[in-house]
Amino acid sequence: MRALKQLVIYCLGACLITSCKPDEPEEITPPCPDLLSVTVQPVFGGETLYLDSSYQTPEGYDIQFTDIKFYLQDVRNGLNLFKDAALFDYRLRGTNLMERVGDKNDYVSLQSNLGVSALVNHNDPVGFDPASWLYISNSNDMHWDWNPGYIFVKIEAKVDTIQDGNSLFDHNVVYHVGKDENLKTLSFTDINWVDIGSGYVLPLKLDMFHFLNVGASPIDVKTAFTSHSLAGQEGLSEQIISNFQESLTPF
Amino acid sequence: MRFLLFIFGFIVLALSCEKDKVSHVPTPYVLEIPSHFPVMQIPENNPMTVEGVALGRKLFYEKQLSGDNTMSCAACHSPANAFSDQNQFSEGIDGVLGTRNSMALINVGWNQFFFWDGRAKTLEEQILLPVENPVEMHDNWASVMATLKNDVTYKNLFFEAFQTTDIDSTHAAKAIAQFIRTMISGSSKYDVMYKTENNLPLTAFEQTVYATVTPEETAGYDLFKSLNGADCFHCHNGPLMQVQKFSNNGLDATFTDNGRGAVTGNPNDMGKFKVPTLRNVEYSGPYMHDGRFGTLDEVIEQYSSGIQMSSTIDPLIEFANQGGVQLDAFEKDLIKKFLLTLTDEAFINNPDFQEP
Repeated sequence: MRALKQLVIYCLGACLITSCKPDEPEEITPPCPDLLSVTVQPVFGGETLYLDSSYQTPEGYDIQFTDIKFYLQDVRNGLNLFKDAALFDYRLRGTNLMERVGDKNDYVSLQSNLGVSALVNHNDPVGFDPASWLYISNSNDMHWDWNPGYIFVKIEAKVDTIQDGNSLFDHNVVYHVGKDENLKTLSFTDINWVDIGSGYVLPLKLDMFHFLNVGASPIDVKTAFTSHSLAGQEGLSEQIISNFQESLTPF
Repeated sequence: MRFLLFIFGFIVLALSCEKDKVSHVPTPYVLEIPSHFPVMQIPENNPMTVEGVALGRKLFYEKQLSGDNTMSCAACHSPANAFSDQNQFSEGIDGVLGTRNSMALINVGWNQFFFWDGRAKTLEEQILLPVENPVEMHDNWASVMATLKNDVTYKNLFFEAFQTTDIDSTHAAKAIAQFIRTMISGSSKYDVMYKTENNLPLTAFEQTVYATVTPEETAGYDLFKSLNGADCFHCHNGPLMQVQKFSNNGLDATFTDNGRGAVTGNPNDMGKFKVPTLRNVEYSGPYMHDGRFGTLDEVIEQYSSGIQMSSTIDPLIEFANQGGVQLDAFEKDLIKKFLLTLTDEAFINNPDFQEP
């Protein structure tokens, strides 16, 4: 009986000592990084732009856009890289441009090339990481497989240039702009990331009406309908990428 | 005690006589991908194995996959024809003709959609369809697999490839897909021209090949990718010689076959078909989705003067309003000479792709 009493006392003592042990500090859970997405909504003036639907150019022609694609490369805020490259493809991927997991405070502004810098533009497209949009399988028809490298901006459309009430979209518009000298930059400052619950979004808009109607540099699709890699097309290529640069803005 | 020892001894004996479980670890298959090619995306649920490829090759040439045991995949995808059919339309086991030309099986592992209209999203999915198509092999997979399950050779091959005897059509499709993914063509004269143009290093052998490139072939290549020339490169470029897309290339003003449009129901897809590779085009005729052209000369003439306007015509077809790019006889000849540089004899005659 005495032994039992002693055992009980020891047990109580042990419990007392353990209960007096100072509380361990609570482990601090680091904040969960957010999914940051950048989207681009093509519009035509005040209305949402859909591929293969008709809109009216400033000159009064009916136009149907069939393809809108462009490259951003080296997207960053100072030392904080957001994405090595992003490829917008309205037909295949809708409004998604790029996303990453991170802290939105690291990206209060973003700078980027519109196109692909000469530093990598002529690299072997098989040499990039297969996850990169510059990798040959991902670039698909956005890479010229000869020296000029990547297509920076691709806009294709069909136009009805005869205003006779007959819808005949038989005038093709093909703007493919690449080459180092046409590289432009984009800069978005004081970014207001929009909280969508599952992450944050930077919504951009691409106004194709504005693209055709930039004040001092309007593009008449009836007469200026092809721009590619030929030397004589340089003037139009410059105009196209400059107008495009002006037309891509935060919503 | 003696009795207990007897029982114990008996149990040990019984256990020692238990049949060993058979196991087999398949050997990973290493694809030989040319250095200027992209990585091939292999589905996670169908990794490449030596055993899977060997089984797939046997199945590819297996006539028991058809309803009357007369027709294999190779019937419409013959090695001698760049794994396509020399006939405009392939004839099924019931003597019925299809409505589209058999597609050449070249570098299919890089394709992002399958059939002329892209109705199959994976190679495995594509492989399942011809067996049950009444116009083609007109069989059913349940019956095919029942036959194969009763064949000891196949039973073993399936087990070695997939470690199971409980096999079905998905195992057969996976094996055939593995075999087709090995069918890589990347050693034509064009490959050497492409690598040279992109400043990629040539092997000693490739340098000797490059030395045989003629001025006409080079001029043909220049014309091929010239905007004011033949302007072929918008749909056919890169190491695969194809862009992954659907296009209406101006064959008809009105469509008897809606192609992609029949799959999507989208009026803007009417008359569009998958852009095929031009590799081994010397052997893959007849040409176009309906095999309407028997020769390369006819194809070149089509793009030169035969373009038909329609509402969904590809905007990249240059000078469509004028009927095409208007090549003269000399230019047409240059284009043809360049197209022949896409022939890859090593691929066509590769013993690994022939009937086992």
